[in-house]
Amino acid sequence: MGGYIAQRIGQALLVILLAYTAVFLAVQALPNDPVTIFLSADSSADPATIAQMKAYYGYDQPLIVQYFTQLGALLTGDLGYSLSSGSAVSTRIGEVIGSTLLLAGSAFALALVLAVALTAAASLSRRPRVRNALLNLPPLMISIPVFWLGLVLLQVLAVQLGVMSLFPDGSFLSLAVPILVLAIHLSAPIAQVLIKSVHEVNTQPFVDVLRAKGASEEWIFYRHTLKNAAPAALSIAGITIGTLLAGSVITETVFARAGLGQLVLQAVTVQDIPLVQGLVLLTAAAFTAVNLLVDLIHPKLDPRIITSHAGSPRALAA
Amino acid sequence: MRNTPLSLKAAALLAVLGLSLTACGGNSASTAESSEPAASAEAGAPVEGGTFTFAEVTPINNWQTQAARFYEKANVLNSVLDRLTYFDTESGKLVGWIASEFTANKAQTEFTFTIRDGVTFSDGTALDAEAVKKNLDALGLGVESAQIQPNVDFSAYKSSEVVGANQVKVTLKRPDANFLRSTSSVTAGLVSPGTLELDNAGQTAISQIVGSGPFVFESEKPDEEVVFTSRDDYAWAPETAANQGDAYLEKLVVKYLPEVAHRAGAAQSGQVDLVRGLQPVDEEVLSAGGGQIFAAQGVDLTTNHAAIRIGSGKLAETKVRQALQVGIDRQALKDTVLSDSYVLAGSILNHQAPGFVDLSAELGYDPEKSKALLEEAGWSVGADGIREKDGKKLEITVASSNNSVVIKPAFELIEQQWREIGVQLVNRAADNSFLTNAMVDDQIEFFGTRQFAYGGLGPVYAPATNNQTLNADKELNELFTREQAATTEEEHLELIGEEQRALVLDKALTLVLWDEVQVYGANKDAHIDFTSGTAPIFQGAWKSNG
Repeated sequence: MGGYIAQRIGQALLVILLAYTAVFLAVQALPNDPVTIFLSADSSADPATIAQMKAYYGYDQPLIVQYFTQLGALLTGDLGYSLSSGSAVSTRIGEVIGSTLLLAGSAFALALVLAVALTAAASLSRRPRVRNALLNLPPLMISIPVFWLGLVLLQVLAVQLGVMSLFPDGSFLSLAVPILVLAIHLSAPIAQVLIKSVHEVNTQPFVDVLRAKGASEEWIFYRHTLKNAAPAALSIAGITIGTLLAGSVITETVFARAGLGQLVLQAVTVQDIPLVQGLVLLTAAAFTAVNLLVDLIHPKLDPRIITSHAGSPRALAA
Repeated sequence: MRNTPLSLKAAALLAVLGLSLTACGGNSASTAESSEPAASAEAGAPVEGGTFTFAEVTPINNWQTQAARFYEKANVLNSVLDRLTYFDTESGKLVGWIASEFTANKAQTEFTFTIRDGVTFSDGTALDAEAVKKNLDALGLGVESAQIQPNVDFSAYKSSEVVGANQVKVTLKRPDANFLRSTSSVTAGLVSPGTLELDNAGQTAISQIVGSGPFVFESEKPDEEVVFTSRDDYAWAPETAANQGDAYLEKLVVKYLPEVAHRAGAAQSGQVDLVRGLQPVDEEVLSAGGGQIFAAQGVDLTTNHAAIRIGSGKLAETKVRQALQVGIDRQALKDTVLSDSYVLAGSILNHQAPGFVDLSAELGYDPEKSKALLEEAGWSVGADGIREKDGKKLEITVASSNNSVVIKPAFELIEQQWREIGVQLVNRAADNSFLTNAMVDDQIEFFGTRQFAYGGLGPVYAPATNNQTLNADKELNELFTREQAATTEEEHLELIGEEQRALVLDKALTLVLWDEVQVYGANKDAHIDFTSGTAPIFQGAWKSNG
């Protein structure tokens, strides 16, 4: 177990280092340095000022020096300076990350609840028509674009009915609606995998044994099937962090919320490369961290993950 | 698979439900509101008090004065920072503001400003000649310790000195007949000397910028809103302002509405009093729903245009560029993409700009002339209908930011029009990430944009680093120098006319499209005017319902 954890953490750190390197190289591939690009957005920039600003931010250093200086700073949590606001990238991120964490975290939690509820309802329903309808919900949910649902809800609730604000004003609806919009989209793939996985588990002999022993369908579902089906859904949930971040960009724009998504959009718009760089790194780190977490929870749910390395009889029994 | 029909039905049902909800909602709202025409709110004296909510299109984090060359900054800073002079759109003249009087020497190298008495910054510091000198130095020379670059309109600035009790004399390195006008720009806004002492992050933070304007910072939620309070002792509005005292409004709240689809609804429902960036299709919806449409003319800006870069070689020949100029059917642009709020360009300067010359007679749509010019330049039609020369196809690319709501559809139409003359346009308009590289890449033939231009076009087109053509044209630069050294107003305007002819016709380095205008949507109760730079004048704004 210890070796497994160390290996996963090592891999995660390596992924982040590679992400940093890739982002660094991508920035070098741009036709100009970040300062020149940023200042060019604003009519004709003075070459002397560009040179002075480049020196100030260290962009006049040799590449290899820049690479290790930035990497060293990164280790201390310093992501450099946002050119568009003059403040540290970490400060800009710090200002809005709470808003995104609240939105994305709540949406993720709600998505899990929705996925499990949908799976339970679909698996336990005894009426085929209801069951079929429920089984068809996830494909529908994933095909509704986040922005469309957000726009329609705002148009109806905020503009036509006037029951909520178009802006985040701290009211219940102004937080609940974006969370719901994001969660619906997010829960679909998790529900889809969970339903399929539950279905597969149900075909296994042990379920018949449980049924033969007189266990109720509910008991079997909650105590046995769900637990056995969870690992697959967990993996998907880990991957949906990407969807979550992409969804945040759209949700935050539609609902005029501050947040990382909105910040990405701005950083790209005003060509603030250091800020983009910091945000990409943060995203990579978040992605890696969540998947590391999934990898660490996995063996708790399914010990065969670890023992299968050794090709043990328990692994084969699956 | 057997489940597909049901899921399809469900999807269709939901889509129809959603659409019909929006549709009925729209109708019911418009009938309810139309019984109360917007005009009824016009009458009467300004109402005191109230909070005015203005929705900008995108949040701003850099509020530094010189950097205010973007609407979302200038629109707000206009009410926070006063300037030495003010350009009065109605009379087309520069009038006094913080400078009660201003004079220039004949050579246009020395300017004297007499500073109004009794003006203070909101931190209590006096806005006197000494404070003005510090500001002018910062604008002309930049602030090295805070990595702030000089204002581009102050490129001729040398020094300034306090003369007498309340006068500042500015000396330029070379003549610049546009200098006075550029002191009216929001980018020449005056800040408290204390603000100039701050570091870069400090000078860019709205919470730390102290001005002498009618509104003072109160609070902010990063990327969501900024709140300003009216300054009760404000008594130094521009000479021609209708309201000479403090703002009628009590508070000004600036919010952000990045989603274009909500803008008309936000103004109509009264969730905001004013919103910028209305799409042409929403103009009708909003006015039908009882809201108001304001088309703020950008007198301080060039027209919307596609500046030409000749780096790829395809547009190196003047004839090719001239062919493209008359290959655009501008009337069709107005009829299909734009609205009545838009005026088609007659030059690179807008119709109200001092020195504007109307070149529209020579900008008429003439595809036959285009074809002839292209043939003359050696570009002949290839097998696929696109012209070729020396094995190269006449395939050219346009880049632009997404700041203008109409720029992408406009270039889509131009793409169609040019196909008729055998030119393939690659439309990358409104693609900001593409623009990041394209902005400084002279291989990308067009940059679709508009720029602030306070008089002559030198600051926009002269330097080798100018982001329009990315190229310094020797003849043009000689013209710019002559124009800036003009000693009489008559001569100055004449030379500004020559610049326009050179840029648009003789050299055809810019394809002009429509006069710059910012279309605002407003609630029926809002009363507001706009500056020559399209910024809302919140100091004179009021709401019928207080």
